[in-house]
Amino acid sequence: MFNLVAQSVLSGIGIGAVYGLIGIGFCVIYNASGIVNFAQGAFVMLGGMLTNVGMIKLGLPLPLAAIGAIAIVAMLGVVLERIVVRPLWNRGSTMFVMILATLAAQIVVERITQIMAGDQPRTLPVFTDLPPLRLFGFAINFQFLWILGCSALVIILLGLFFSSTKTGKAMRACSINRDAAALQGIRVSRMLALAFALSAALGAFAGILITPTQYTAFNVGVPFAISGFIAAIVGGFGRPLGAFAGGILLGVAQALAIVLLGAAFKNVAALSILLLFLFVRPTGLLGPAK
Amino acid sequence: MNSFNTIWANGRGNLATWLLWGLAAVFVVYTFASGGYLIAVLQFALIYTVLVTGLNIFMGFTGQVSFGHNAFAAIGGYSSAVLTATYGWEPLPAGLVGLAGALLCALVIGYPVLRLRGHYLAMATLAIGLIVYEVAVQWQSVTQGYMGISGIAPIGIGRFTITSDRGLLVFLMIAAALALLSAAGIRRSRLGRAFVAAAGSEDAARALGIDVARYKLIAFMISAAYAAIAGSLFAHAVGFVSPEVFGLPMVVMSFTMLYVGGIGTIAGPALGAIIISVLPESFRTFKDYQDLAYGAALIVILIYAPRGLASLPELWARWRRRSA
Repeated sequence: MFNLVAQSVLSGIGIGAVYGLIGIGFCVIYNASGIVNFAQGAFVMLGGMLTNVGMIKLGLPLPLAAIGAIAIVAMLGVVLERIVVRPLWNRGSTMFVMILATLAAQIVVERITQIMAGDQPRTLPVFTDLPPLRLFGFAINFQFLWILGCSALVIILLGLFFSSTKTGKAMRACSINRDAAALQGIRVSRMLALAFALSAALGAFAGILITPTQYTAFNVGVPFAISGFIAAIVGGFGRPLGAFAGGILLGVAQALAIVLLGAAFKNVAALSILLLFLFVRPTGLLGPAK
Repeated sequence: MNSFNTIWANGRGNLATWLLWGLAAVFVVYTFASGGYLIAVLQFALIYTVLVTGLNIFMGFTGQVSFGHNAFAAIGGYSSAVLTATYGWEPLPAGLVGLAGALLCALVIGYPVLRLRGHYLAMATLAIGLIVYEVAVQWQSVTQGYMGISGIAPIGIGRFTITSDRGLLVFLMIAAALALLSAAGIRRSRLGRAFVAAAGSEDAARALGIDVARYKLIAFMISAAYAAIAGSLFAHAVGFVSPEVFGLPMVVMSFTMLYVGGIGTIAGPALGAIIISVLPESFRTFKDYQDLAYGAALIVILIYAPRGLASLPELWARWRRRSA
């Protein structure tokens, strides 16, 4: 029993890291603009789907297909920003209208995917096809190591980007005070587009990492987006590291709920965590970003 | 603000709006006379009128956000379906049980959730909708999962049941009219004024002695009641419910109707529901593209005509100024 629980905690950490990446995607856009992008799940879904299409239809090897998919999704992020978010942003729409519009965009992307790719679930091969490692009596999948390694790498790169590149610093300036940033000559609207591209790429990457252990289909986006959103709230909205920690907490809680209470309790656990944090500590683990 | 009097009856808006009403009336009469498939479309629109009217009370009048009203429609619909089809209840008591269940859930959920604002509120309500969907899928012994429940009896009391299409249409017209009239009554009452005050500025409303938290909860429960009634009507009118009926597309469609018709107006929900139901039916070959079209239409409306058809005269005036 102990072994089973420990094993599921491990897999929970893997899935949680993916939730964390999605949560960071929420934070990147939120910090640059104050917008909560409810179409985040579409990026996650498209990451897995496009990689699958690249491998099967075009016969590309996995790394190439994955890079291509991330690039395409990042561009779609900019497209979303241009045709949906930008007009509303310019008109000074309320946050609710922005949420509604991005949620509608999520549905549009979902349906287009369904029409073009069908509703059959698809999957990706695991990145390293070897039997699981045996450590202290636990079986550790290579995909788990890939997820942890890649997400750690992404977080380090993001940290470097925000702390030591000019563009990264400009984005941070926007998150602190948009008007002051504009006065310093930072093009706030360009930063917004960049934030959508970055966030979309993060989502796609998360989708590609998780797909080999599960599956992907046109409708997996919303559940992933909700998990990522919960991760962001648990971490304190707008704090990328907090979102990652929140994602891991959520993944472990879900894994424990599945093994101890049954598979049907997966979402109950996620929602309980969301409500718990919203009511008891709405500022999250690390406190608010600003 | 946003009331019947200021939007639907202001000078310049009159011609366009009366034209729309005229078209709607002609359509209804034509449908009634010709019968056939159009009747089903109109029935559907009338059921959605009830749902969207409830949503309008919460979102239009009170200025709140709910992405989870499909949950209450599902509670109403499944109560009616399970109690009549499985346990052989009468439609009326079954519907009342659904209504009571939805009200109770709205109270229990609304009390903590309505303290949230902005994207927190949006996400919490969205999660409620998804949870109910999940329950409908998982609780197979009662809901039969994805299969859904079919063979739900038509609506009626005792031995008097409405079996003809036209009869059902008249019944649903009365139901939709009652929904609109009651919304108008609420809007004009002390309650409605409190809702609108809370939407305008919570702080100002509080300063006037309005218990904002309480009125938000009341608005949430009233709109949940409309949603539950719409769910029950759907179950009896169509004779079938499944989790998919009450999924996320239902939320997007009801928002599209609300925004097309004009959020915050009294008649907007009916107009939006009829237009959004009829348009896709006139392009039947595009059935697969329905949700896609709703989503795209919603985005376009949010960007270009955020107050729906009610803002058409305004857009028209602006366009004339520009071209003059």
